[in-house]
Amino acid sequence: MVSNHNVKRTRVSPEALEAKRLKELSKVKEYLALNDDLLARKRSKTYRKEDFEATTRILSINPEFYTAWNYRREIFLNGLFPASTPAQIDEFLSSDLDMTMAQLQRHPKVYWIWNHRRWCLEHVPEGPGEDGDSREGWRRDNWNKEMFVAEKMLDRDPRNFHAWNYRRYIVASWPSIRTKDDELKYTKKKIQSNFSNFSAWHQRSKVLGAMWEVTPATRTEQDEGMSSHHTYSRFWLIILEEFEFVKSALWTDPGDQSAWIYHRWLIGEGDDLVVLQREIDVIEELLVEEPDSKWCLDSLVHFQRLLLQHKDESSVDVSSIQQRCAFALTKLEAIDPKRNQRYQDIKLQL
Amino acid sequence: MSTTELLVPLHVKYIQSLGENKDDLAYHLTAHLRLNAIYWGLTALCIMGHQDALDREEMIKFVDDCWDDEIGGYAAHPGHDAHLLSTLSAIQILTTQDALEHVKVDRVVLFILSLQQPDGSVAGDQWGEIDTRFLYCAVQALSLLGRLDEFNKEKAVAYLRRCRNFDGGFGSSPGGESHAAQGNLHEVDEQMLGWWLAERQVPNGGFNGRPEKLEDVCYSFWVLSVLAILRKMTWIDSEKLTTFILSAQDPEGGGIADRPGDMVDVFHTHFGVAGLSLLGYPGLNDLDPVYCMPAELIKRKGLTKAWLALPRRDAIGGKPDHE
Ligand SMILES: [Zn+2]
Repeated sequence: MVSNHNVKRTRVSPEALEAKRLKELSKVKEYLALNDDLLARKRSKTYRKEDFEATTRILSINPEFYTAWNYRREIFLNGLFPASTPAQIDEFLSSDLDMTMAQLQRHPKVYWIWNHRRWCLEHVPEGPGEDGDSREGWRRDNWNKEMFVAEKMLDRDPRNFHAWNYRRYIVASWPSIRTKDDELKYTKKKIQSNFSNFSAWHQRSKVLGAMWEVTPATRTEQDEGMSSHHTYSRFWLIILEEFEFVKSALWTDPGDQSAWIYHRWLIGEGDDLVVLQREIDVIEELLVEEPDSKWCLDSLVHFQRLLLQHKDESSVDVSSIQQRCAFALTKLEAIDPKRNQRYQDIKLQL
Repeated sequence: MSTTELLVPLHVKYIQSLGENKDDLAYHLTAHLRLNAIYWGLTALCIMGHQDALDREEMIKFVDDCWDDEIGGYAAHPGHDAHLLSTLSAIQILTTQDALEHVKVDRVVLFILSLQQPDGSVAGDQWGEIDTRFLYCAVQALSLLGRLDEFNKEKAVAYLRRCRNFDGGFGSSPGGESHAAQGNLHEVDEQMLGWWLAERQVPNGGFNGRPEKLEDVCYSFWVLSVLAILRKMTWIDSEKLTTFILSAQDPEGGGIADRPGDMVDVFHTHFGVAGLSLLGYPGLNDLDPVYCMPAELIKRKGLTKAWLALPRRDAIGGKPDHE
């Protein structure tokens, strides 16, 4: 075997093994015949309907056979598409999307299936109409359907990173499908149903990060006009709400790492002294309730060290910060011995 | 047999037996990973000091047969299409076997360079799947061929910068990012990354790949290799990790699984042995965490970077403690 995940080891007797071997023999023969037939067709560079069907047969047994997916696309491009109307091409691709959907149910983590879906989507022709909205009809329908599929997959396994990546790809390729606000709502819903859904926190950081990048730029470009000013303050409101949101997650389960990592991202380099001080206060408040919380202590050290960058400010008392960090680090060494070398290294850097 | 020590003879036998499963359907269903599997097996053998356990000539012949003359790269199996992943495996195998003269270097370089996109990212093949791990593969392959100077590094770095995540640089491909942290991305916050990595260790000693996920021998290696590159391997409990990897061995049939009690495979056998090498397990050869190949070999090629693994413990008597 080449690569397994989550397959329990079972002890099989030599007799049982031999029985399995004999039983599999015909299957092996059948598969190798399909395999040889497919590679022979590919070598001969024929791109007919029957070649297409040969790829369907072998891919239904082995969706990881990437060369067969490649050949399937070569057949589309060199054989089937040139002889088809746009409506037929749209139909071909739609049915390939359906076929791979069925495969994803059984193999949700096979890269090659996800890749093939992307390729199909990107080759949907314009139409059915000639102009305007109607020209984008087929594409819009397909992208919408894909979004539905991706979210269905995430309902089933909220941590499937293939599905998250795919969802990101859809939004990037067809931005009108979800606005940034939709994205914030979606990730919030996912996080609220499970605070340790790190993938959802991650996606949220991407959405806010993108808003962050756009907003200050718009402000300077549009010479402080009313609308941009509005965007800007609206963005700050979102950030403010965001801190409240993380805070509620931290208080709900201070032992869950996901929200703590996100909190660190939100504060970033800690350039804003007011925000930094406020968040330190939040953690200290929590620490009173949870005096042995490792994440509380570790975050406190992290943020207080960021505070040291502002040592020229009168409110920043360097020696008291160092003392508090050293105290927290000593405590961390005791409650988290696995990583005590890290705590000692940081102490030396204070 | 107990799993408190690395069962070297059993693993060697297990790796040797991998080519003998031709009656298994699974063997044929994984043909698309054959060249990768040979690289994993060969590297594990090298680290265990048994490079000759697989026939050198036969292996080189197989790699030659995987050459895809139309595309100018290596496929994972004769008759399949070339792909960047299998091309890297071919180069790694031929480098380890000191047989790089078998590579049509100019054509392979051209193939790899053609995969870099205008935005700096790298595709896996002509069909255009993009993944940061392909960027890492391209850099590694070109570097082993001594042709890294032809790669557009500025664009690649700009692309990686856009891929950075708030957890310190990890996307779907820790390996890829690790190379970046090592090479060009000085801006990567080593403290943050070190923290994130150290926190991947779960109570039984193993490492998971993402927060709140199950531990796994292969993730353990990814984390270790980056920690070695950051020179922060002391930030984790190495004894517990050693115990975890050892306990994932199959004490009867040989090989290492993703976690204790699961089916073994050559992928996890490779990463288990590689991890133990970085952990200073006695009797193993050093592994270069950047290339995931024998360190001695990378040193001879003058490609060694400033990583730091745990010192090799001496004597079998120094076997790890158990709680
Ligand atoms: Zn694994």
